[in-house]
Amino acid sequence: MRPHLMAAAAGLAICAGMAGAQSLKFPIGEGDFNWGSYDEFKSGHDLSGQTLSIFGPWRGDDQALIETVLAYFTEATGVNISYASSENYEQQIVIDTEAGSAPNIAILPQPGLIQNLVSKGFVTPLPDGTADWLRENYAAGESWVKLSTFKGPDGVDRIYAFPYKIDVKSLVWYVPENFEDAGYEVPTTMEELKALTEQIAADGETPWCIGLGSGGATGWPATDWVEDMMLRTQPPEVYDEWTTNEIPFNDPRVVEAIDEFGWFAKNDAFVAGGAGVVATTDFRDSPKGLFASPPQCYMHHQASFIPTFFPEGVQMGVDADFFYFPAYESKDLGSPVLGAGTLAFITKDSPAAQAFIEFLETPIAHEIWMAQTGFLTPFTGANADLYGDSTLKKLGKILTDATTFRFDGSDLMPAGVGAGSFWTGMVNYVGGASAEDVATQIQSSWDALK
Amino acid sequence: MNPALQGVITIIVGVGGCIGYFFLSNLVLDKFVFPPVGKHAGRNINRANLVRPWLFLLPAVIALGLYLAYPVVATFWLSLTDRDAGGAFVGAANYVQMMNEPKFWEAIRNNMLWLIVVPAAATAFGLIAAQLTDRIAWGNIAKSLIFMPMAISFVGASVIWKLIYDTRPADQDQIGVLNAIWVGLGGDPQTWLTIPFWNNFFLMVVLIWIQTGFAMVILSAALRGIPEETVEAAIVDGAGPFQIFFKIKVPQIMGTIVVVWTTITLVVLKIFDIVLAMTNGQWGTQVLANYMYDKLFRSFDWGVGSASAMVIMLLVMPILIWNVRTVRKEMR
Amino acid sequence: MDNIAGTKSSLTWAVHISVVLLVALWLFPTVGLLVSSFRTADQIATSGWWSALGTQKRQEPAIRVEGDQVQEGDVYVIHGELFPVADAKVSAWGTSSREPEAYEPGQTVDIGDGDTLTVSESGAYTLTSPESLEGKRLPRIFSTAATPPEFTFANYRNVLFSSTAAAGVGQSFVNTLTVAIPATIIPILVAAFAAYALAWMEFPGRSLLVAAVVALLVVPLQLALIPLLQFHNAIGIGKSYLGVWMAHTGFGLPLAIYLLRNYMVGLPRDIIECAKVDGASDFQIFTKIVLPLSFPALASFAIFQFLWTWNDLLVALVFLGTDDQRLVLTARLVNLLGSRGGQWEILASSAFVSIAVPLIVFFTMQRYLVRGLLAGSVK
Repeated sequence: MRPHLMAAAAGLAICAGMAGAQSLKFPIGEGDFNWGSYDEFKSGHDLSGQTLSIFGPWRGDDQALIETVLAYFTEATGVNISYASSENYEQQIVIDTEAGSAPNIAILPQPGLIQNLVSKGFVTPLPDGTADWLRENYAAGESWVKLSTFKGPDGVDRIYAFPYKIDVKSLVWYVPENFEDAGYEVPTTMEELKALTEQIAADGETPWCIGLGSGGATGWPATDWVEDMMLRTQPPEVYDEWTTNEIPFNDPRVVEAIDEFGWFAKNDAFVAGGAGVVATTDFRDSPKGLFASPPQCYMHHQASFIPTFFPEGVQMGVDADFFYFPAYESKDLGSPVLGAGTLAFITKDSPAAQAFIEFLETPIAHEIWMAQTGFLTPFTGANADLYGDSTLKKLGKILTDATTFRFDGSDLMPAGVGAGSFWTGMVNYVGGASAEDVATQIQSSWDALK
Repeated sequence: MNPALQGVITIIVGVGGCIGYFFLSNLVLDKFVFPPVGKHAGRNINRANLVRPWLFLLPAVIALGLYLAYPVVATFWLSLTDRDAGGAFVGAANYVQMMNEPKFWEAIRNNMLWLIVVPAAATAFGLIAAQLTDRIAWGNIAKSLIFMPMAISFVGASVIWKLIYDTRPADQDQIGVLNAIWVGLGGDPQTWLTIPFWNNFFLMVVLIWIQTGFAMVILSAALRGIPEETVEAAIVDGAGPFQIFFKIKVPQIMGTIVVVWTTITLVVLKIFDIVLAMTNGQWGTQVLANYMYDKLFRSFDWGVGSASAMVIMLLVMPILIWNVRTVRKEMR
Repeated sequence: MDNIAGTKSSLTWAVHISVVLLVALWLFPTVGLLVSSFRTADQIATSGWWSALGTQKRQEPAIRVEGDQVQEGDVYVIHGELFPVADAKVSAWGTSSREPEAYEPGQTVDIGDGDTLTVSESGAYTLTSPESLEGKRLPRIFSTAATPPEFTFANYRNVLFSSTAAAGVGQSFVNTLTVAIPATIIPILVAAFAAYALAWMEFPGRSLLVAAVVALLVVPLQLALIPLLQFHNAIGIGKSYLGVWMAHTGFGLPLAIYLLRNYMVGLPRDIIECAKVDGASDFQIFTKIVLPLSFPALASFAIFQFLWTWNDLLVALVFLGTDDQRLVLTARLVNLLGSRGGQWEILASSAFVSIAVPLIVFFTMQRYLVRGLLAGSVK
């Protein structure tokens, strides 16, 4: 019964693969895509009949998008891809790797989790040239190399993961016409942003919508705030020391950054609904206040994915827009940008898995998704003109204008802190606890992990 | 082959295999191993009767041992070792670390609350529902409606109740029923899930809502099993409906009530989906199972995670002892 | 409830009223979800579901003027409707977020650059301009309007027929059935024999075994996942239907044995002892007497086990895998929510899609439940 079944399953998979191949999103050879890179990749890789399993964080519409990219890999190499995701992908990947049924490729947004898997020996190092490739081809290459480097089970640092698709976090979303109606200007420095916040409050309106609710992950939006504030009050080196715990979490500089966030979030006059509802308001519902009539708030700090949760019919660039979350003019720290992203790594080595990592080094793997929606890349070899809309272009510009780029700190910390006590600590903080107490608690949870 | 077809074959093979196993093993025992004939007939019958229970139990014992007992042993071992140090034996260090965490004690306190409130409430509501619906014509429809939450997954249930507990700022329309009523009565909008201590009860309501259907179905079966004569005799003696219910019916189904109570207690000990989805143990609502989940899959601290699992299993001890005693009583 | 025994009719009334209250209380949350599943995401987020049932007067979110301009004389005009579908009644409107209720319906207002705008009571608007409106950002209209109830099937269409779901939901439905049916029948069968042995057969260690079953009831599932998947990989089952059936059997057994044993213990002792005296073997007693008498218990456990396997996400993901061809319904519906989740309208409609089968099962099984119970009481 079993071989028979396998054959049937393979047959089905081939059919699915062919269906994918027929529906390539952009016909090969047309448009401004770098088809040369595609052809070159194709000529070097004939892996027909092989299969590749990929486990990623993208579901729903995002899954449809990644599958358009994967279709080109299948077309070029003949490899059948089965892409899968799951709601609790962190748990799933841990169970699968521990039990020995790992996918070929895993793509995850948490470097902390990847470090965990790497140190248990579940991840295959990437080829030697990868570091050089990132340095040369990614904007601010060195910071990407650093992000992709993990300490192996033998204690040696190697490149284990390949960054692909990033999000910019240092953004403030607003409704341009509401600003016009009230006569507000887009602030370009943190001093102006704070003055604007006070002015809106003085006008009897509410400046900010802040929501930390996210089910089991409640609290994470606040970590983005604190990280952004960290980059705006301290040099990036201090940020790095903070995320690696070389300076303790309750260092006065960190406490100061937390209180900078508190200046916005813990003031009843500054937040829609008052500080009390910040922790329970769902982060997905929170931006809807911008579009209410009359507006419940004027500004919302969130990463580049948030337009997904804007009300239906909101047109980006017309009904809603964003500006860069500005830096202090007085501190002279340039324009730091906070971001996040996903990293691809090999959990079960095979020629197809190696080929997939090489595929991610071709411009075409980036351009296909760029030309659609919700994708940013630091890959300088990809044609920036292909960005699907003006919003993405503008986001891309923030990324290239950045003098400092830093990865989401909570994702760099061990999961017990970055996806645990940091989240809960921020909830306690907006609930009334002092920044010192919260920071000390987080530090003690970090100590417990050592 | 189509998986559905494969499923049908499996059902046939599986069910047939099970029945075949039970039938054939009995046959072999009676006909060949210890046939009740010949000069050892009497001794063979006794021997066969010694072996037979184990034939009946064998598949269950294997499955239980492999799927549940073995993981427990493995977990116990993990709770005594440190995985990051290559699995070195560390004695009680994980337990000590756990005892030093305030979150653990909060979870213990909350679990105690849950253990007192949820089984009692769900059983009581289930008993009332079973008794009342048995007396009316549309009782089956009513039962189905009360049972319906059982058919909703924990995640679905969490969504429903999040919608009920939702809070909006005072100047907006409330979309949560509870706040809408509260504001309608002149109160300020409350963030129910963050009110210390009481928020535990708001979470418990969800589980009570789900488990009442379970209690009702089992108890209703038990109530119908009560011999008519006892009830009729009581009516003749002039007992009122309350007396009949509490003095005649409840004592007769006491065994079933205890079973229901026990089952719900065990569900409570394992409950974490609701807490995870609604508060993730914040605002003082942590429970042991969610604490364990947090340690296992968020912090990857398998030592402490396993230690907290052992605590969950330890909490079941009183129920265990009680069950052993009832079984002993039955045997006499 | 009435305390006086004998006043039968008032007592019956009290029972009816209590049941109605109880049912209403238990149904209320689900009704909320049901109503929400027919509303759009924006509606769910801005007003309570109960308000969807009647006419609602509220401030609508801003609507931007859109449409093709036509030249009428020397002015350019755009005609449009604020509420093309709903039968709304505008009571006030405005063009600024600061003054959303500045104007009356029917009023014609100068909005600058010589442009004028008017909004009628029915929500029809007319924008006129002396110059071409081509390429110009058109104004937003804020309105306060009374709208009748508005429901949509879009959520269900999304769940059942959207491009990401269409290919999969039917397949997943079959997959879930394939998982759930064997995973319901096999544990019951195995448990029934074990329960009989624990209830009616004398052997040393019986009470200890019962205790072990109770103890295993409390084992958290999460502990078992990794060792068992390792085991499945080691014996070559890997991630497959066979694996998920075995896992559900293992996890469902303790409760099955516990419930069935307790039911069987309650069966009348004389019937079984009579049969023994008549020379029936244990196997015969079990199949001919105990099994038929236990039908209600078997049926109710079957319902529970079916519900659990149907609603299960974790066991299926771990032991069956996330492969698209084998994805179960719960996993498929969760994936529909997108990478960041939280879409209540999809959650609501998918909850009702997945609840449909368990409810049908319950309603059909319930008849057997009642029949079995009646048969049992004629003992």
